[in-house]
Amino acid sequence: MKNFISLLCLVFVSSIQIHAQQITFTPQWTPQSQFAGYYAALENGYYSEAGLDVSIVHPTASYSSMSMLKDGTSDIITSELIQAMMTSDNDHGLVNLLQTTQHSTLVLIARACDVKQLSDLAGCRIGTWKVGFSEIPHMIDEEQHLDIEWIKLINPLNLYIAGAIDATLAKSYNELILFSMAGITPGSVLYFSEYGYDFPEDGLYVSEEFYHKNPEQCRLFAEASRKGWDWVRNNREEALDIVMKYVNEANVPTNRYNQKWMLDAILQAHEDIKGGMPSYSLDEDAFNSLNEALVKYGYIEKPVVYERFIGGNR
Amino acid sequence: MKNRRKFKNSLSGRLTSGVVIVSAIIFTLTCTVFIRMAANKVREEAAKHAHSELSNTIHQIDAVLNAVEIAVENTAWLVPYRLSSPDFMYSITERLLQNNEFICGAAIAFEPHYYTSEGRYFSPYSYRDEKGEIRSKQLGNESYDYHYMDWYQIPKLLNESYWSEPYYDDGGGEMMMTTYSKPLYDEYGHMYAIITADLSLEWLTELVGGIQAFERSYNLMVSRNASFIVHPDHNLILNETIYSSTYGDDDESLKKMQDDMVNCRAGQVLRDMKGGKYFVFYSPVETTCWSVAIVCPRNELYLGVKKLRGFLIILGLFMLLLMMYLSYHGIRKVVAPVEDFSDVAKKIAHGEFEAELPEIRSQDELKDLHDSFEYLQKSLVQYIDELKYTTANKERIESELRIAQAIQMGMLPKSFPAFPERDDIALAAKIVPAKEVGGDLYDFFIENEKLYFMVGDVSGKGIPASLVMAVTCRLFRSVASYHDKPEDILTSLNDSLSDGNESNMFCTAFLGILDLKTCELAYCNAGHNAPLIIDKNGNVSAMEVIPNLPLGLFSGFPYQGQETKIDKGTKLYLFTDGVNEAENNEKEQFSDERLVSLLKANADIAPKEIVEITFAEVERHADGANQSDDITVMCIKIS
Repeated sequence: MKNFISLLCLVFVSSIQIHAQQITFTPQWTPQSQFAGYYAALENGYYSEAGLDVSIVHPTASYSSMSMLKDGTSDIITSELIQAMMTSDNDHGLVNLLQTTQHSTLVLIARACDVKQLSDLAGCRIGTWKVGFSEIPHMIDEEQHLDIEWIKLINPLNLYIAGAIDATLAKSYNELILFSMAGITPGSVLYFSEYGYDFPEDGLYVSEEFYHKNPEQCRLFAEASRKGWDWVRNNREEALDIVMKYVNEANVPTNRYNQKWMLDAILQAHEDIKGGMPSYSLDEDAFNSLNEALVKYGYIEKPVVYERFIGGNR
Repeated sequence: MKNRRKFKNSLSGRLTSGVVIVSAIIFTLTCTVFIRMAANKVREEAAKHAHSELSNTIHQIDAVLNAVEIAVENTAWLVPYRLSSPDFMYSITERLLQNNEFICGAAIAFEPHYYTSEGRYFSPYSYRDEKGEIRSKQLGNESYDYHYMDWYQIPKLLNESYWSEPYYDDGGGEMMMTTYSKPLYDEYGHMYAIITADLSLEWLTELVGGIQAFERSYNLMVSRNASFIVHPDHNLILNETIYSSTYGDDDESLKKMQDDMVNCRAGQVLRDMKGGKYFVFYSPVETTCWSVAIVCPRNELYLGVKKLRGFLIILGLFMLLLMMYLSYHGIRKVVAPVEDFSDVAKKIAHGEFEAELPEIRSQDELKDLHDSFEYLQKSLVQYIDELKYTTANKERIESELRIAQAIQMGMLPKSFPAFPERDDIALAAKIVPAKEVGGDLYDFFIENEKLYFMVGDVSGKGIPASLVMAVTCRLFRSVASYHDKPEDILTSLNDSLSDGNESNMFCTAFLGILDLKTCELAYCNAGHNAPLIIDKNGNVSAMEVIPNLPLGLFSGFPYQGQETKIDKGTKLYLFTDGVNEAENNEKEQFSDERLVSLLKANADIAPKEIVEITFAEVERHADGANQSDDITVMCIKIS
């Protein structure tokens, strides 16, 4: 009898594992606190509890998460909202599963003092990421005819130190702390969120095709990810331990202080626009404002439909 | 056997203590200054040594970096001549490696699509494999877009050669390296490629890590972006910066060090770190602006100073003990004669005025003391001789005075009651001289039923006064026999005393002749206190007297006499000024008022008792004060 029960249990567990959906998840950059919620969800077993067999594969500087989504290497990725909207078209639409970052973390670090707006740097060399994230400053440049020389780069720190650029775009949770850790005191730091460009950023995305084929898995992944982020918010030091594990495995040159700063900044950016706890949903007004700007400056031909972008009525 | 004084109570002990304490203070201060100077010197020397080590190391680093730069310069000129042959570029990069053994990789990274045939990425790259053999490959591809690498982008933007910040290269070298990049330009000034030389930093780690400036020091190196390039804790390399690793520290020395290190400045700071205080000496590599630092525990630098301090403390204690021993015995030797003088002083005090003095051969203060003692001895001997003589004289004089006193007192009637056979008269008198002999006098006698009585007071005291008193007494007795009236007696006495009175001494006197039958009293006063009358009712009043002049002043002075009737039961009270002017220690006189009060209070008692009570009251008033004048009282009662 005992042997029979054991056999039944084995068959049951095996059936769960057989039916566990294998999902490849790719954050938009190498391991860091920006993705702590996903690492926590995996390490704490939230994905497996949801019946998902998730593996995390990070991109490289030249092989982005979006490319990995497009060629099917990854099933679910994180992306900034602008990149996701620009990528979405009628044939290759993306679906937003979870909107984590509610605020813009885009800043401008300038060597000069008293830089109050981008126009103060007209004609200057400004570093911008090779992989994007810079559409808003480019729109301002285009609108105001600032004739800025945008220098595409991967990491602005050494270019700034060497004097190769006058200023650089940066993320408040990333490059800003890297500059601080290098002993650099910028002349000015301009937060775009304070100048009317406070758009949501990071979110979870899948292709429409994957979404329609695996709607339940997408929901479960988003739910488990959200649970991961909630745990991180309440267990920051333990979350940092997990992040540092991923960081060390990937030989990312960083340190705990850097990641702590980043985690704090990211969690702050997750908070609702009205200052409350994270809603994890994409604000329609902000989406529409961004839609309008992207169309206006030709980044997309026609507006992305909100309902379709969020996968219908969720 | 001399008494040995305890150390703390002896002059030697106290002098020794003083010397040792002062010496200890001076020694401590000197040692403190010396130790501080030594510590400063040690720190200066340590800094010199550290910076010398840093300078040597930096010189070696610069030499390697310069050699790489020269190798690139010496190779780069070939590129323009062989541009037509892309494959030849591999030969050039290989040649670069051949020219410099430190170079671990070299590339000529072209701009995108420079060669249409090669596409976007064309970067011939040569490197050394595990066996040290030179291999070549094309470096660029979509996964490794070198156009965005610092070593490519920065020199391109700056239009100048550039040493990259150290990085871990996973695109070609697979190691921590730095890259020297030189932009290449065509005849139109357009940059078409970057020629590079990679330098593995393993040699740098060995070189910097191998500096052994101090026994327990360690070394580190940071890049311009503050990242650790060399550090004993390998986990920090390229992961931490000098800012992130000290997160939470907020002291000025740290800020200075950080600021100096990322801004190519040399310096040194003393820092509080885990395990204590550390000196950090740092200096920049000129070529790349990286900073090399030597970190040394402060304790190690000051180890020698600490040992020196310990040695000085032990030496100091030993020297102080030695000084205490030598000082005590030295001072004891010096002050030993003082003890001998002390003994001599005791002998002198016991009468050995010619006790032998200690021998003093020096000519210092002790010699002065010896001479003073010698003089003292001589003076004392002489003084004692004089004192003996004087004392003998004094004893003789005192003896004579005692005889004189007996003689003087013998001149006065002193048998009382004076007239025991009579009941109509009671008379008592007493005289107490201030000195052995005095100038007061009294006398009385009855002749033909008349009582002659007199009280007098010679000016001054002592022997001269006693002589005048004796003369006056004798004259009174002899003159009274020839005269019936008091004024005649006093006139005669005055004339006798005035003759040959060279010393101008005089005598006040009251003389009365009382007719015992009629109770009529004839009297004459010669400048004396008016007698007091105590009537039978107890009233006391001063007798009315004509003052006249004291006796002995002016010969021929006409004394005026007076007469009065004395009631029976009345008492006559005669006294000298020694009674009413007797003083106590507060210089308060007995006073006439007090005398009158005394007599009123004792009006009923017999003359003898009145006399005794008067003396008792005067003595009580004097309260031990020296008697300044002779005191004489006479009281007569007629019944």
